[in-house]
Amino acid sequence: MAETATPEVTPGTIETTEEKPKSNLEPGYLVVCWNDPVNYMDYVTHVFQVVFGWARKKAEFHMLQVHEQGKSILKRDSMEKAEHYVHQLQRYSLHATMERDE
Amino acid sequence: MKLIRVTKSNFLFQLGKREKHLLTQVLRLYPRIPPATFRLSKSGKLPDAEANQRLLDESLAEQREHNRKTLQDFLADPRRFTDTEAGSRLSLSRSELEWLLQILNDVRVGSWIILGSPEQAMEFKLLNEKTAADFWAMEMSGQFQMRFLEALEKREA
Repeated sequence: MAETATPEVTPGTIETTEEKPKSNLEPGYLVVCWNDPVNYMDYVTHVFQVVFGWARKKAEFHMLQVHEQGKSILKRDSMEKAEHYVHQLQRYSLHATMERDE
Repeated sequence: MKLIRVTKSNFLFQLGKREKHLLTQVLRLYPRIPPATFRLSKSGKLPDAEANQRLLDESLAEQREHNRKTLQDFLADPRRFTDTEAGSRLSLSRSELEWLLQILNDVRVGSWIILGSPEQAMEFKLLNEKTAADFWAMEMSGQFQMRFLEALEKREA
């Protein structure tokens, strides 16, 4: 018989083994920015700073990821928040979408 | 276009006569991105995908209409540009500059879409009499965009 590990239960927490369906409030959605040859790198960095309130270094990191790898996952959030960020990025005409984190 | 003064809340630019004309010409092209261009999701695996896509389209259309009206007022305001011997001075608040970046990028991306969304290496091959105006709009809006971004960077430095 294979050994089974005893689950560790910390006081004050309720253990549950049931798998819950993803609700719209769970951070199960990804905000993705896709590469295109028209948006300037400096502009994309600027938009990331404005929309997410990131420092320049972090914004540049994601901009370079978009540029070099074709896309960057910018956030993992609830459906409502992911939708909000996608709306904001598209107002700046960036190619952004939200995808289910599977 | 040259940034001549920057404070915490304001940017003052000096433009030559020709530059002022070019900037207003480019801005008058707004909006250029065709409606319903943007998709909410690439995979399409979202709950209520159609309804959410419709909401996004409506939200962007509302924003576009609001921008169009604001831009009309912006361009019609005689105090917006102050004439000088060398040309004009343009004073912008931080939020106006941010807003103009969105407007200019709409013109840039919209022109690129009208041109068939070419890869950079292909652009030169597409340049001809028919496409020249769209190339002009794409490049010119990009030039003003870069000047505004440089101004923002200067303020942050």
